[in-house]
Amino acid sequence: MRESWRRIRAVAGNTFLEAVRQKVFAVLLIFALVLLGGANYFAEFSFQEQFKFLKDLGYATISLTGLLVGLLGAAQLIPAEIERRTILTALCRPLRRWEFVVGKYLGLVSLLGVMLGIMGAVFWVVLRWKEAQLIGMEGGEAGVVQAIQAESRDPRLWQAFALIAAKLFVVCSLAVFFSTLATSTTFVVAMTLMIYLIGHLQSVAREQWLESGEKTVWFIQLFLSAVALLVPDFNLYSLIDEIVAGNLVPWRATLEVVAYSCAYVGVLLAAAAWLFEGRDL
Amino acid sequence: MSAAVLTQSLRKEFKLGWGRGRVLAVEGLDLEVKRGEVFGLLGPNGSGKSTAMKMILGLLRPTSGQAEVCGCRAGTLAARKQIGFLPENPYFPAFLSGTELVRYYGKLSGMGGKALEGRVQELLSLVRLGGEAGRRPLRTYSKGMLQRAGLAGALVSDPEIVMLDEPTAGVDPAGSREIRDLIRELKERGKTVIFSSHLLEQVEDVADRVIILHRGQKLREGRLEDLLTQTGEWQVRAKGLGEGQRRELHAWLIQHGAEVMQEGSPRERLEDYFLRSLPERERR
Amino acid sequence: MTREQRLATVGFSGPTAVAVREKLGQGLVLAALGGFRGLAANALMLQAHGAWEEKQWVRVRSALEMATLLQPRVALFWDLASWHMAWNAAVAAERYDGEESETRRRIEARKWVEAGRELLERGTRAVPEKALLFQRLGDLYWQRLADYQAAAACYREALLKKDAPLYLERFVGYALDRAGEKQAALEYFRELRRSMGESPDPARKPEVVEREIRRLENEIRDTSAGRTK
Repeated sequence: MRESWRRIRAVAGNTFLEAVRQKVFAVLLIFALVLLGGANYFAEFSFQEQFKFLKDLGYATISLTGLLVGLLGAAQLIPAEIERRTILTALCRPLRRWEFVVGKYLGLVSLLGVMLGIMGAVFWVVLRWKEAQLIGMEGGEAGVVQAIQAESRDPRLWQAFALIAAKLFVVCSLAVFFSTLATSTTFVVAMTLMIYLIGHLQSVAREQWLESGEKTVWFIQLFLSAVALLVPDFNLYSLIDEIVAGNLVPWRATLEVVAYSCAYVGVLLAAAAWLFEGRDL
Repeated sequence: MSAAVLTQSLRKEFKLGWGRGRVLAVEGLDLEVKRGEVFGLLGPNGSGKSTAMKMILGLLRPTSGQAEVCGCRAGTLAARKQIGFLPENPYFPAFLSGTELVRYYGKLSGMGGKALEGRVQELLSLVRLGGEAGRRPLRTYSKGMLQRAGLAGALVSDPEIVMLDEPTAGVDPAGSREIRDLIRELKERGKTVIFSSHLLEQVEDVADRVIILHRGQKLREGRLEDLLTQTGEWQVRAKGLGEGQRRELHAWLIQHGAEVMQEGSPRERLEDYFLRSLPERERR
Repeated sequence: MTREQRLATVGFSGPTAVAVREKLGQGLVLAALGGFRGLAANALMLQAHGAWEEKQWVRVRSALEMATLLQPRVALFWDLASWHMAWNAAVAAERYDGEESETRRRIEARKWVEAGRELLERGTRAVPEKALLFQRLGDLYWQRLADYQAAAACYREALLKKDAPLYLERFVGYALDRAGEKQAALEYFRELRRSMGESPDPARKPEVVEREIRRLENEIRDTSAGRTK
């Protein structure tokens, strides 16, 4: 087990290093600029509205940046190695194929984790800067200051981060799964985005067809049940919207979604490893 | 002691998909490579050399048949621990330096710590990529340097068997000679070397035994000496004979019933002539 | 064959077919937005703000209704939408120079107030755990519809939520008072004062409650005295 973990760590470390040297982190600069630029928008609105906008912008930018880096990174993890034939010199070592897949995935999510951490720190700084700006503008009345600080120092913001990270890790595992089947990055990206879309839509479809009271044809029910089982329900992560709206989201709900995500990641990686095992290189 | 590599009726078919049929890459390959020998896989492009090697390495699954490496089933961890592999025209992660590459492959082979560091430096010196050269990114390396870096990576775990797929393809004559010298050195260290090539004169220099493949099938197999020696003929190379003595020798041979098939000054190989023409330091 | 007939042949039929398609259409939009509904909703809020500055009340309504569709759990959107309808649009309709008839202007204004009320009713169902929208509904009944009984009921409902502001406690009494229910208002304030205990939290303004009790007692006494004379 220890040897296995060492090999996985070697693959993960190499994947992380590759991304760093490809200057993936440069994209964070764009993120920081977008956030700082957006921080002064909505200036004529109430402070609640300003914070809502800032939080929505922050989370959306973090999600989009993470999605781009994670999706594109995951999509080329295996196809690019096969195309470049660098995979031959790795897999001819005493390295199991599942160790390679898991190591690649862990390298990528480590990178995403670091990026999320940096983006979170930038976000935190911008929120505190906004807080100072608004307190200055509002005149410093105690009740107002408290209300402003409740918005900017809301501990639930970290719950939102956990949810964003969980969602991104599921998307990455989807991309890794498809990359073990595919020979082109385009196919992997297209398939992953399609499942991403279906994942957001499936709860709407389920609600309409199964819970509307209308009699549903049996194959529709079967199809929807299969989709519900196989495709992650990305609507679960809309708890982030609840947090931004200032609604109470118990940590238990967040941890349930995180556990759900871990389960999906586990299943997808296991399937990816199984598919990759039999693949000719 | 088991053979280094043993295959029985090894067969590989590739499905083309979409109902386009199959391609037979290797058929009924029986092969035995003894420990400590230099074994050449010969054949034109598309003869199945690389496919056979990949099946031995476990990168491809045979359609049927078996392959063993040092008594272990090919493709298992135990088997792969015994092999160091350098593929044809290898591509390496361009973002790594030579040192990092060898270190990475060492880690993948289960090595670590000071033992790995020591081995990395030793090998980089052996392939003349120590110091500054080893710290440069691989994307700045010439083809010959990449080949040497790959070789160091293949040897990092001190494997029993070294497999080289077209190791001299695209390499200049000096580099090519270097690789062949390295193969000889590996043999002296007791390693088994299996290499493929379609450059026949280069194989002749180093291989003990060869197998000749054509369209996935074995045509010939055996020791070079046995395969290439033309037993019905005799060759003598002599110095210091004058014109008259040469004519005398020719007449004596005819008198004794021999057929003189060729006589004259021997030709040096172009590669040897080329290397001799280079300045000392360029010959390596 | 029309599109409706085609859909009917595959098992979707009746009025719900339209609803299904609409919902699916909306669902697709939601799905396509993925996790970026918040940004889209904020953009609509900006649009509504722009439309408000231009007094384009229909555009204000449609932009904010779309925002509530994207993020139904954000109380802010329901609040903003109802404010624009029941206050800004309604007042603009009342003062509209282009309509000479005062009656027609009042009818139009009333329509906007009702639109605002309907939005808040939907909002309270979408975000039932927060006091804000119940409070706003109470304010709407009080200020725009002069229905003080309904306002009092809304304030009571708001007080059941954890985030209700303390001052709302007194608003129930004020609303009952305005509704002419002086006795009910007095009983309410007395009960409120009792609930504060011997050492009341100053934030609950016990002195204000006591003042209201005395005022109502005097008014009721004066009213009774006036009748007996």
